[in-house]
Amino acid sequence: MKRFFSSAFSRGLLWQLIGTLAGAGLVTGIRALMGLSVTDTFFFTEPAWVLGGLVGAVSYLFGSGVTADWVKWARGMDTPEHPEEHFSGWEKYINVSLDHKVIGIQYTIVALLLISIGGLFALIFRTELAASELQFLTTDMKLFGQNGPQLYNTLMSLHGMIMIVSILLGIAGIMNYVVPLLLGAQDMAFPRLNAFSFWIAVPAAVLLLMSLVLGGFDTGWTGYPPLSARAPVGMQMFFMGVFVAGWSSILGALNVIATVLRMRAKGMTAWRLPIFVWASVATSIIALTATQLIGLSFQLVMFQRLFGMGFFDPAKGGNPVLFQHLFWFYSHPAVYVFILPGLGVISELLPVFVRKPLFGYRWIAMSSLGIALVGFVVWAHHMFTSGMNEYLRVPFMYSTLLVAVPTGVKFFSWVATIWKGKISTPTPMLFVLGGIVVFLMGGLSGPPNATVSTDLHLHDTYFIVGHFHDTIFGGFVFPFFAAIYYWFPKATGRRMNETLGKLHFWLMTPSFFVLTFGMMYIGLLGMRRRIVDYDPALGFDTTHLILTIAGYLIATSVLVFFYNFFNSIKNGEKADGNVWNSRSPEWQVPSPMPTHNYDQAFEVVGEPYDYGLEGSKYIEFSTSAKSKH
Amino acid sequence: MSHTQDKTSALGQGVLIFVYLAALTVLEYFVAVTFNAVSILVVVAVVKAALVMYYYMHIYKLNSSDGDDHNSYQYKTGTNRIGLWLFLLSDSFVFAGLMVMRANLLGLTRPHLNQLLGLAVTSVLLISSFFMNRGETAMAYGDKKAFMNNTLITFVLGLGFLIGVVFVEWPLAAHEGLTASFGNPASGPMGGVFYMMTGMHAFHVLTGLIFLLIVWNNARKGVYTAEKHWGVEAAAVYWHFVDLVWIFFYPALYLIGKAV
Amino acid sequence: MRHFVIVGILVIAMAVLTYVGLDAAGVASQMHPVAASAQAASIDQLWNWEIIAMSFLFALIVVPMLYSLIVFRRKKGDTTDAEHIEGNTPLEIAWTVGPLILVVFFAYMGAYSLGEVRRADPQAFEVKVKAQQFTWTFEYPEYGFVSTELRLPVGRQAVLKMESVDVIHSFWVPEFRVKQDVVPGRVTEYRITPTLPGSYKVRCAELCGTSHAYMESPIVVTTQADYDSWVAEQQALAAAAQTPEGQGQLLSVKNGCTGCHSLDGSALTGPTWFGMYGKEEELADGATITVDDEYIVESILDPNAKIVSGFPSPSVMPPYQFTDDELASIVAYLKTLK
Ligand code: HEA
Ligand code: HEA
Ligand code: HEC
Ligand code: CUA
Ligand SMILES: [Cu+2]
Repeated sequence: MKRFFSSAFSRGLLWQLIGTLAGAGLVTGIRALMGLSVTDTFFFTEPAWVLGGLVGAVSYLFGSGVTADWVKWARGMDTPEHPEEHFSGWEKYINVSLDHKVIGIQYTIVALLLISIGGLFALIFRTELAASELQFLTTDMKLFGQNGPQLYNTLMSLHGMIMIVSILLGIAGIMNYVVPLLLGAQDMAFPRLNAFSFWIAVPAAVLLLMSLVLGGFDTGWTGYPPLSARAPVGMQMFFMGVFVAGWSSILGALNVIATVLRMRAKGMTAWRLPIFVWASVATSIIALTATQLIGLSFQLVMFQRLFGMGFFDPAKGGNPVLFQHLFWFYSHPAVYVFILPGLGVISELLPVFVRKPLFGYRWIAMSSLGIALVGFVVWAHHMFTSGMNEYLRVPFMYSTLLVAVPTGVKFFSWVATIWKGKISTPTPMLFVLGGIVVFLMGGLSGPPNATVSTDLHLHDTYFIVGHFHDTIFGGFVFPFFAAIYYWFPKATGRRMNETLGKLHFWLMTPSFFVLTFGMMYIGLLGMRRRIVDYDPALGFDTTHLILTIAGYLIATSVLVFFYNFFNSIKNGEKADGNVWNSRSPEWQVPSPMPTHNYDQAFEVVGEPYDYGLEGSKYIEFSTSAKSKH
Repeated sequence: MSHTQDKTSALGQGVLIFVYLAALTVLEYFVAVTFNAVSILVVVAVVKAALVMYYYMHIYKLNSSDGDDHNSYQYKTGTNRIGLWLFLLSDSFVFAGLMVMRANLLGLTRPHLNQLLGLAVTSVLLISSFFMNRGETAMAYGDKKAFMNNTLITFVLGLGFLIGVVFVEWPLAAHEGLTASFGNPASGPMGGVFYMMTGMHAFHVLTGLIFLLIVWNNARKGVYTAEKHWGVEAAAVYWHFVDLVWIFFYPALYLIGKAV
Repeated sequence: MRHFVIVGILVIAMAVLTYVGLDAAGVASQMHPVAASAQAASIDQLWNWEIIAMSFLFALIVVPMLYSLIVFRRKKGDTTDAEHIEGNTPLEIAWTVGPLILVVFFAYMGAYSLGEVRRADPQAFEVKVKAQQFTWTFEYPEYGFVSTELRLPVGRQAVLKMESVDVIHSFWVPEFRVKQDVVPGRVTEYRITPTLPGSYKVRCAELCGTSHAYMESPIVVTTQADYDSWVAEQQALAAAAQTPEGQGQLLSVKNGCTGCHSLDGSALTGPTWFGMYGKEEELADGATITVDDEYIVESILDPNAKIVSGFPSPSVMPPYQFTDDELASIVAYLKTLK
């Protein structure tokens, strides 16, 4: 316990607390000197909270010690290229480590934690939705300075954003763990930046959660002004949390691209890269660039609130629709950030479990880039009803529908891979197959949103909610679980329990189909999004009750997963060999891997997915021991 | 062209590029005050940007081959270079976003600003880039003394720019009625756009100045040599990037459109 | 070959089954809720085509997958790899070009259908719609009255000119299928030709704050004759409202007060107006106050000055500006609510 409280994690939190108070105190002091008001509903005034939040986040980073080496560099000192690990066992994971494998696991654990928090919020508001009328989020209730319906909005909005952040951390987790291993690198290109990208996400999560207790905010995860210009202080904490989390995403993506460009093993040419690496690069291109725009759009609203700058205020000549353009310029490409790594996992795992080459490797690789690049020019499909220039609607419809083409290439190639394969279905493969079907449902519900006239009906209904839970689960959640089940033995040298894994799958998948199919169904019939209560005359009560039950069943299945996960770390069946009989380099050496990965460098001598070809090799280890670094 | 030159010709090239840039800036200003052709202003800005990126920021170095040893200083510098450029690419999306905002909210109008002051701070920043280039070139040939002197000049000019914008231009503009908001809705979104754009740029100038101080101090301690001076290169490239942004912001705020 | 034939048949069977199942559930050709506007017809038609395409594509992927899973699954004890098939360029081209043609077709259909939805009838009559947290008000400029319900005659195109006074709202009548945001600072347009008499509701579809869920107002589509008599009635009412009380009522409707304040004692976003005048009221800061003329005027002009206990601070209620006469008539009207 003592060692927990002195870890980088806890030290950071303490510093964040102190930093927040110091920042807020500073502003309060200045305001007092200027004769302005010093307290407000939530004790500090809004500017005080904003500066406090910022100073707090920065303090976290210094407190945790992740910036220590940089400070030394700035002072002209040298640091060892690969410092010794000071910690072992679980302590490694709550202290700063520069090992990409440790960081990957840290990311994954925090992502799972956030999924739980976001999921818990979903369960709370789903319970309210189980029947029409207000059940427990009533107008009389008061919690964190919010009445029931307002709290509903806060929980719903935070559910959205916390889940999204958890996805960003989840994909960063897989990419961090897997990409250097697949490339035969010792680590990421910039290990310190890598640690920084992870640790900055922690204060970001704290900021997001602070918004809940500072009056909340009632705008949804999209934070459209003018509503967001009027919401309580919680809004600012939300904006800042996203802003800080955005930096985690940007810097992580930068690192992935640099790693792929510079750290490949000998002989690993573009067409011999494992397919997951292609997906990671495509994702990172988006995350590196587009993320800036959500940061900017939120920053502009923050400034509008703090300084009265009228960017989005029509009374001052501003334009509320401009915000939506800036926001969706990131937030649409972001949805491809969510799924591309997941689709990469599907493509990576399929050949292993069907014992056949990946059908059309090059087409699949290119389709990831295609989706990423076309994804940049479709953002306004979220704004078909927004009152933007009418003539924009048709070109954006064409570009949006175009994304179906590269996505289709993936699907058809997967089917062709499976066709005539010798298929076995351990847990990771089950999640891969589940992911394909679920993502297909989600993907196919995309084009009806994209054709403008049907979207005029579907926009802001539960049909959309169903659409994106399907795409997100199929493109992220299922492959994420597949990846965890698949690479767990690599990380721990033990396997997760198969029976519990199958239970997890068979509990989650049908419940999930019920959840999203039900959402789309009532959406078509007239159920709006983001409402705490619905007209009983619509007759949705039964369906909503079923949806809530389905939500609880999914949560139960996740609890099964958690039990399996933590139990297997200690008690899982030992498995340090090539558990899945894969051709991939990381499985050719015993698990778990040592700190700097491969003891011997390898050279790529063949194709990655030549299953079924006698005598074909992907990599060859060099006989001489790798030079010490 | 060849990039393995001797020191004199490397410095000479810096002078030449500076003359081009200065001439283009004068042209820009002249176009703006006489017949305000937006397309010409855009073309001039793009040409200036290309010159800065190629000759001052030596973007071509991204393409250099760094050998096979992943652990050599040279190879790592190549990796660092890619990292830095990726960062700049990312950062430029913020500025692009601000430009889009400016185009959307202001269109072909611009705030009423002091033209001479605008030209002055622009020139100061441009000249600072020239000295930065001299400094970096000096370091590349192992001349620590010249590096420190030139960096100091760069720093002073950069500080001058920052003071010019934040402590001279801002109060002047506010005096002319251009307010971020407080109490004067008449200036519309103009004030917000102006302070936001210059403010974000000034923030980058500030970080660039801090970066310059750090490398200056490290040079003093003798950290850098002709072969190993990635820190210097990074500071220089970043500094030129800040200049690069201003190459677009200057016409966007001072030259394009009608002052209202 | 045998495999392909079986799968082909299964794909078609499954596509048909999926489509029929969806249709039976009321989400394909017989789409619910009922279509009540001319615009809905072209939207529903496109939607039906999409459901057909989706059913087919879903079957096209899922059936061969499931078939392989069952037929080609690994036999017990077999540890060999499967056949080495790397890819097939003509196939890849086929399933790139095929979907490409399909999406271009759907995009064309979408544009066509959008054209239908937006087709302007020169005979259209205008209604001004005002959205605010959390009510709709409808002004009939032709006749000069204001209403809290929207009445439309069947078969005639109405063009709604919509404005918002505060945040973004969205005008959506599920039976009409069409949705349009209402954005502060600009006027957005909504064209609709009702085809089926009945009572519907406009439901605000853009999150606009705490009571967004309740931002609904009645819409009635009637025959032209019923519509005309309703118009006459409304005009008579407006004319009768020459007394201060009547003026006050009109003002409260026009400004959307009744969206937050009920007249019958029930709880909405704000305190009920029923029996409010003369009541002792507790404020958020613990003080009590008697509701009198002065307090009401202050509450309207500066809602934040005194917050009624139990309501959030800052007040959800926007500040209003009225002339003294108008204020007096609102007070007079509030007095009548007992
Ligand atoms: C992981 C996330 C993810 C993914 C992958 C997608 C994928 C797609 N999305 Fe989705 N979307 C979201 C997440 C995602 N979306 C979210 C979160 C929102 C709501 C945001 C909010 O408002 O809160 C949203 C909202 C949204 C809207 C706005 C709706 C509205 O608010 O009115 C639209 C409109 O065009 C849209 C379209 C599409 C399309 C066309 C695809 C395509 O990429 C799908 C392509 C895939 C296929 C089509 C299936 C496979 C293809 C074939 C089998 C080939 C043959 C197919 C054809 C010829 C059609 N999405
Ligand atoms: C990763 C993305 C993700 C995930 C996984 C989910 C998961 C779920 N979502 Fe989510 N949802 C979004 C992203 C996601 N959602 C987004 C972006 C929005 C839009 C928000 C907006 O409109 O602004 C949204 C909105 C949204 C709505 C619409 C709300 C509204 O418009 O009013 C609904 C309604 O049913 C819903 C339901 C659910 C349910 C039941 C789950 C279930 O799958 C949840 C299952 C539960 C868990 C996975 C947690 C399990 C763990 C535990 C129970 C352990 C808890 C204990 C500890 C803390 C240790 N979601
Ligand atoms: C967005 C919702 C909303 C609208 C629209 C609105 N109000 Fe209110 N009103 C409130 C709330 C909430 C309160 C209680 C909090 C407070 O005192 O400010 C309130 C309080 C009041 C009070 C004091 C009531 C009491 O019991 O003490 C009066 C009088 C009043 N409103 C009049 C009006 C008038 C007149 C209008 C229209 C011109 C109007 N309101 C429009 C939400 C609204
Ligand atoms: Cu108005 Cu929601
Ligand atoms: Cu999108």
